[in-house]
Formats: sequence, C-alpha cells, structure tokens
Amino acid sequence: MAVMIAVDRVSRLYRRGVEEIHALIAVSLEVQAGHFVAFMGPSGSGKSTLLNLVSGIDRPNEGTVFVAGQRLNDLTEDDLAHWRARHVGLIFQFFNLIPVLSARDNVALPLLLTDLTKRERQRRAETALRVVGLVDRAHHSPATLSGGEQQRVAIARAIVTDPDLIVADEPTGDLDARNAEDVLALLRQLKNDFGKTVVMVTHDPRALRFVDDAFHLDKGVLLEGEAAERAAEAIRLAATPAHHSPRQPTA
Amino acid sequence: MSYLALVLANLGRSKVRSLLTGGAVMLAVLLVCLLLTMPAGLDAIVTSIASDTRISVHNKAGVVYSLPLSFARKVRHVDGVEAAVGFSWFGGAFEEAGKVTFPNFAVEAEHVGAVYPDYGIPAQQLADFERYRDGAIVGRQTMKQYGWKIGDRITLQSTILPLNLDLRIVGEIPNDRSPVLWLNREYVDQALKALGRSGMGRVGIVWTRVKDPSRVNQVMAAVDELSRNSDAETASETERSFFFSFFSSLQGFIRIILIVTGLVALCIVFIAANTASMAVRERAAEIAILRAIGFERRAIFAMLLGEALTLSTVSGLTGVALAVALTRVLRAFAGWNSALGPLGNFMVTPGVIVQGVVLSLLVGLLAGAVPAYGAVRRSVVGVLHDVF
Repeated sequence: MAVMIAVDRVSRLYRRGVEEIHALIAVSLEVQAGHFVAFMGPSGSGKSTLLNLVSGIDRPNEGTVFVAGQRLNDLTEDDLAHWRARHVGLIFQFFNLIPVLSARDNVALPLLLTDLTKRERQRRAETALRVVGLVDRAHHSPATLSGGEQQRVAIARAIVTDPDLIVADEPTGDLDARNAEDVLALLRQLKNDFGKTVVMVTHDPRALRFVDDAFHLDKGVLLEGEAAERAAEAIRLAATPAHHSPRQPTA
Repeated sequence: MSYLALVLANLGRSKVRSLLTGGAVMLAVLLVCLLLTMPAGLDAIVTSIASDTRISVHNKAGVVYSLPLSFARKVRHVDGVEAAVGFSWFGGAFEEAGKVTFPNFAVEAEHVGAVYPDYGIPAQQLADFERYRDGAIVGRQTMKQYGWKIGDRITLQSTILPLNLDLRIVGEIPNDRSPVLWLNREYVDQALKALGRSGMGRVGIVWTRVKDPSRVNQVMAAVDELSRNSDAETASETERSFFFSFFSSLQGFIRIILIVTGLVALCIVFIAANTASMAVRERAAEIAILRAIGFERRAIFAMLLGEALTLSTVSGLTGVALAVALTRVLRAFAGWNSALGPLGNFMVTPGVIVQGVVLSLLVGLLAGAVPAYGAVRRSVVGVLHDVF
C-alpha cells in the first residue's frame, strides 16, 4: 500500500518573546494511504502541531514532510493554500460554518476555488451532504442545525473536493457522546467506503475503537515501543468501564 | 453560490450595521455632490445675468465710493464705447420702512436702454421711462412677488436719502430672475433740490456697453486712464468679473464648506474602516477557516475589500442619485416660484457625478483595505492558534 504521509525527523520550534517552545522534536512517522489514524496525547504534546504540518497549514523548522508525494517544506504560503485546496479536507473542533450561508452553500465553499460551473458545484455539494446524511437539510442555515449536524456539514465541506487526505482536529471535542460516536463512525465510513486517508487529533478515548492506528505523543516526542503501549493502555482503561465491553470498530 | 453571492451574504450578516454605515456614506456623498454644484451654479448665475461686453466703472477705492456724474458723460466719448449709464443706489423700502426687499437704483433713463439691450425691454416702455419723470422699470421677479403690473403706482421710501417717492411702473424687465427696480435719476435729483439739498451729482457705478467684445480690455484701460490722478480714480471690470468679485466672499465660504466636507468624508472613511475592522474581527475564526481550506490571501483580501467597495459604491450611487433628484426638484420648483430662482442653477453635472462615484470608491477602498490587509497578513497557523 502506498505511503500517504511521510514525516521524517521533523522539529517545530515556536518563539514567544525570548521563550522557545519545542512543540515537536525529531518526529518521524508514516501513514499508509487509506488508513484512519489518530494523533493522541495530553495537552501540549504536539499532536495539533503535527496535524498542522501534515495538512500544510504550518511548516517545520527541521525535517521533511511529504504528503501525497508532495514535499511541503518548499512551498510558499500561497502554494500551500493552493495545495490544501486540492489535496486536503479540513475538519475543526468548532465547526465554523458561515452563518449567513445555507448548509449546501457552506459545503460548496471550497469549490469556489475550482473551475467548476455553479450547477456542478451545487451537484457536488448535494452529493457530499448525501454522504453525511444531511441532504434533506441542504437549505437550512447553520443556526437551525444541531451541533452534530453542523459537524457533519463541516465533514461534507471537507470531502466535497474529493481530497486525498482528510484531517480532523478534535472533531468530537464539542459534541455529546452520541454525536461524537456518529462523527467517528462517519470518518471511519469515509475510510471504508471511499478509501480516504483520515488523520485525526483527539483526546477522545472512544476514537481508539474506530481508528486503524494511533500515534501517541508527549512533550513533542513521538512515543514508541513500550511507552506507546502504556499510553494506549491508559487511554483504553479510561474509556472502558470495568463492566462494559468495548464496541468493535465498524469495519 | 458565487464570490458575489458570498460578498452580498456577508453584507447581510448585520443588516442594521450595513444600513447605518451605508447611510453615513450616502449622506456624505450627497453632501459633497450638492456642495460641488455650488461653484458651477454661481458661475451659471453670473453668466445668466452678466455680459462680457458690459463693463462696470467704479471708484478704485470700492463701490461704496462714488464718482461724479460728469464722468459718465466722459465715458460715452471714449472710443469703442456704445453707451454708458450712471447708477446710484436708492435703497428704497416698500411697505416695511427701513427694509429693502429688492435692489433699486436711480438711473439715467435716457441711456439705460442702450446699455441693456440684451434685457429685451420693449422700446415703448423705455420711451415711457424716459418720458415720465416718476416712471420705474421693475424686474419680473419683483413684479410677481408683489403682484404688480404696468401702470400700478407704488411708493418707495429711501433708506439713505430723506425721500419718499411715488412711482409709476411703466415697464418690466422680462426676466423671471430679475428682482431689480430702476427709477429716474432726474426725479431723485429734483426731489432732493426741492428739499433744499444739492442734487444727485454723483453716481455709484457707470455701467458701460462696449461695441466690440474683443476691445473690452482696451476700452477699460482707456476709461481708467480718463480718471488717472483725479480725486476719483476708477477701476473698470467686466460685468461678469464684477459679479464674481461680488460673490467672492461667498466663494470663500464655499471653499471652507468644501474643506469641511472633505474632512467629513475623511471621518466617514474612518467610521467605515472602524466598522469594517469590527466586522473582520468578529469573523476572525471564519476567515481563518477559509484560509485553512485553501483560500489564498488575495482571495480573502479581495472578498473583504469587495464587501467594503460594494457597500460604499451602492451607498455612494444612492447619494449621487439623491443629489441629482434633489437639484432637479429644486430646478422644477424654481420654474414655479421665482423666489427659488437661483437654486435652479445648481445642477449635478456629469463631472460632479464622476466625483461622487470616485469618492464612494475611495471610501470603500480606504475603509476596506486596512482591515482586509490585517486579516491576511498573518500566517494561517498563527490566526488559528489565536482564535481556537
């Protein structure tokens, strides 16, 4: 199977005044195409920084990031924007739909960056809404949708351009348990039904039941071997009450 | 959905704010357009009442200083002069004592018609004015204002001379915007003498008509040469120039108003920029998301600038349209009501329209560019970090 993401000895340093923050330290990993993976770890572990690097929102100080065969280090900010529009679908914790646009127009927003006709943009937006099960709410404004529905509209917005990679930053962070499970199942469905590569940052222990693999970070370092297993076990324990069996992944 | 639909949808996000900001821009553009009509309007007024072949000869020290009546006779003999007539301010009040409601002058009745042939006063009326010592010729505006007609008798009480003169209206200046009244200088002279005072031996202005428009400057120089080294040296100028200098204080006032208007427009720019900045700040998260999903800096910049430009242009065009409508209404009213006469000259010309539209665009550009630049200058990750 082809490698979708290859991160090699990547470091990211932020400067806040005289203070230096090592958000990532020599992280290397690979994600196969068509996999659903999670970046997990406590706050400040560097998981969101890593997500920003693989989604082309940020650039590393050291190391290289290849995504879908493109080395991202060398691209300018505008080139990265152009690349993201074609190859990446982004989902955020706070759905941030545009309140004055209908669900369908929100989904169609990224298609403004393409050469598609208005009719074709509308057709694709409706297809994406059908995938997330909201085609009957296409003309609703975000204010009339529940939190779970808004996140599903945001997912439809992320897939409408048929990107190679879908990245989600805490997609269940602002949802109740039921909606969170629905969203995780939907992301899994994108992987299963459409072969999408999905990378997600999450604190949510339920995510482990849906992903193919999880990368654990702590203080900017990617945990490996026993340390990673201990971190995964700790999350699993936190997620599983003693008398309950974990649900199986939907695939 | 298109970029334009996105821009319009964003403008509709806070309708009250958009309406208030648009209203401020509209009023500023309306005000500027109306004020910009004033210089051309004054020019039109002067052009409508002034002739380039008529010159005003008055005391070099100012129009309030008089000239000897004999100087008018000398002027008539200057080469190139067609006719000349002495004018003296009578300051007559009608009905209400001490209140001069229309300009009135004692003139040399036998010469006035030759100096003002362009007024189109019938020859018979000019002849009657010359024949009847108590005759008066009145502008149509004043005739209408008081409901007078030829043959009526009126009384004017001078505010500068101890005279109360009965006058017989023998003619009319057939111009809706003419308020002036001429009475016979000879009548005033004799009335003064009857009171035991010296007659009316001096005049305020000698209005002079030149035969050849191309020789106006030469004639003015020749006339002024006549009075050189006398106790009443003269300064000649064309009628057009005379009225322009008469309006010069008003023009200075207009200049001040234009400066203030410019400052008001600048204030509107700041207000609109502040409003746009607030709107951009409120949408920081959305803008960050748009940039994250692939909208380039220039696309976001263009969208935000487009919002400001659309609002300012629509508002500005409304302001321009209102200015056009308002001046047209004034012009229409001026046709029905002679008291509004001069207002009919203030027209929004194509030049004023262009200036109004350019002002609207400038307001939009300046008000939109600063917040739009602020929204795109930072990196995506920096903005995402701040807003989430």
